[in-house]
Amino acid sequence: MSAYQLLQLMSQVLFVFITLVVTFRTVRRPLKTNVDTVLLFATIALIVAISWVDQVLGLNPGRVVSAATSSLLMALPYMLVRLVDDFTAPRRAIPRTAAVGLAAAVVSLWVLAPPYPGILVLLCVLYFVGFTCYVAGAFVKAARRSSGVTQRRMQAVAAGSLFLGTVILLAGISAATPSLSNGEGVVMTILGLLSGLFFFLGFAPPVWLRRAWQEPEVRAFLDRAASLPRMPDREAIVHELEQGAASSLGASNAVIGLWDAESGFMQYNLSRIPRELLPDQMIAGRAFITQEPVFSDNAERDDPEHAEVYRRSGARAILAAPISSGEKRLGVLAIYAAHSPIFADDDLLLVSLLANQAAVILESRALIDEAARVKALEEAARLKDDFLSAAAHDLKTPLTTMVAQAQLLERRARRNPTEPPNLEGIEALVKESLRLKRLVLELLDVARVEQGKLVNHREPVDLVELAREACARHSTTLHRYMLDAPGRLVEKYDSMRIMQLIDNLLENAAKYSPAGGDVCVRIRQDGASALLTVMDPGIGIPAADLLLLFDRFHRGSNVDDRRFSGMGLGLFICRGIVEQHGGSIWATSTGIGQGSTFHVVLPASGPINLASRQNPSSIDVEQTG
Amino acid sequence: MSHPSILVVDDDPSIRRIVSEILAMEEYEVATAPNGAEALLAVEHDRPTLVLLDMRMPVLDGWGFVEALKERNIVVPILVMTAAQDTARWAAEVGAAGHLAKPFDMSELLAAVERLCGAI
Repeated sequence: MSAYQLLQLMSQVLFVFITLVVTFRTVRRPLKTNVDTVLLFATIALIVAISWVDQVLGLNPGRVVSAATSSLLMALPYMLVRLVDDFTAPRRAIPRTAAVGLAAAVVSLWVLAPPYPGILVLLCVLYFVGFTCYVAGAFVKAARRSSGVTQRRMQAVAAGSLFLGTVILLAGISAATPSLSNGEGVVMTILGLLSGLFFFLGFAPPVWLRRAWQEPEVRAFLDRAASLPRMPDREAIVHELEQGAASSLGASNAVIGLWDAESGFMQYNLSRIPRELLPDQMIAGRAFITQEPVFSDNAERDDPEHAEVYRRSGARAILAAPISSGEKRLGVLAIYAAHSPIFADDDLLLVSLLANQAAVILESRALIDEAARVKALEEAARLKDDFLSAAAHDLKTPLTTMVAQAQLLERRARRNPTEPPNLEGIEALVKESLRLKRLVLELLDVARVEQGKLVNHREPVDLVELAREACARHSTTLHRYMLDAPGRLVEKYDSMRIMQLIDNLLENAAKYSPAGGDVCVRIRQDGASALLTVMDPGIGIPAADLLLLFDRFHRGSNVDDRRFSGMGLGLFICRGIVEQHGGSIWATSTGIGQGSTFHVVLPASGPINLASRQNPSSIDVEQTG
Repeated sequence: MSHPSILVVDDDPSIRRIVSEILAMEEYEVATAPNGAEALLAVEHDRPTLVLLDMRMPVLDGWGFVEALKERNIVVPILVMTAAQDTARWAAEVGAAGHLAKPFDMSELLAAVERLCGAI
């Protein structure tokens, strides 16, 4: 056997081998793409088989054999075009033209006897070369759009098609110019073997090669994924994973469904719209239920119920794999592809790999979330403990005096029944019990602020009147309250709570101001807002405390706890009252010792009340105690 | 023999007042201080028989007060008197002779004071 014959035999064996591999694959997964691949290689194998039978029998190629071989050869471009048709959306005209060309060639080959006229050979060669070039081009284009294994395999198929076309081109040239035929036989055989090799790499690559081709994609995905668990929220992670998976597979879209065991629903984000579906719904759901990768080359056919969803997402084919961490089912990853992937098995393997990575990422995120949740719970428990012990401490102080004072009064009364009542002791008892009452009410209000139940009954109430009453009530020899307000400002508020708010602000103003300091109270209406301002000449507020001041238990850092009694709840309750009215409260201060101003904005009904603002002599009420 | 003298240290004026009144009724000599710093001056000056000490106070708290006493080598029995849940632990921390959790009964107060003054 000459080297030439060995080469020929090798390429023949190679094509038969490829045929067996793709046939085996198709039996396992009878997809249209796989069937078309088998048809292509079965045609080549048949040509090879005919030539072997021919050689064994030692017959001169007869007319029938010659016509059959030529017809099968002419079928190859058409088979390749069918394959292209499966994974891209070519113009319908191209497969049709190929079919018409094939029919014309076959009819001519059977009708005319060899030797065939030169024009027929030329047309056949043109037909063959033209379509193999088109196919190679289509695969190159598709390869550019895809990535990883699929890209490499498409490139290999493109090369195989080109070599095949070249073989036929050379065959045509040698037929036209018989004088050159000797040298070209070897070249053609080598090109044929190369074509076979590239088809082998494209259609039946060995596992190690696939792994090597896959690695960069997986690595790129992992590089991207490494920082994901630290992203601000789970939605962002899911979005990044979806994008990464889609680009790794060169697909248009990827969707992750997250399993919520509590609700029993799978949570998807379809075209940015959150949707909750039962776990068995959609093709992705099948992967979740079976915990196996699922492939559909026609989503609308396989799941007509959600055809609309698939159409909108441009998903013709779907590759889905379960996202699971050991026994724990986390969800599912689905890749939406505009065209059925030609190498579904590889893509499915990659999807499974990515789904496993997604599981790792989602699990670490869940651990981070859990740690944060535990920390928040601990923090909440600590705050509650702090609150309870602070509350207990503050309640015990007046209680201590009350118990001791009451027992002292009792003992004295028993020892000297005739002695006049100790009025001073009784007054102390009353004062301390009022202090206790106030603390208890404050604590109850804190609970109501937290439940959002502070504000209840709303009725028309005159804010100016409330402020005027409060100024009169709080005025003492130590502090004067100057009211600057329009005649009336009637709005629907919870009058008890608004009164409590004003009382609290006025008390604070006096409490933190030196004796003789005047407090300015101003009320204005500005469009749909009622503005209340309380300005004092007191100790001021450090800038760092301006916002924190309204938090539970927070007191200004310049407030001497013991000089100024209080639990640090007053402003917290004030904020609750204002916010539950739909308003806002804040404080300003030019600095320590420079006085403070508290601003309250409450919603008002707007210009209807303007008439009441017309009162030009917004009277300055001066009240002294 | 003169009556035992007691120094009542508490930042709450109403508690200072009522505790003083109760002790005075039982013929103790009573002085008061609103914080650790003033209490320190009073102890250095008067050497009371017993100090009733609140722990959380402005300026100088109970711990600081005890620390300052040690630095000056002043030994005086202390009865810790707080509204905190940790009264017993705090008392142990500062090596107090006894502790009294607020709110206390008048009889509890008198019994504790009597016991500590009697032991001296």
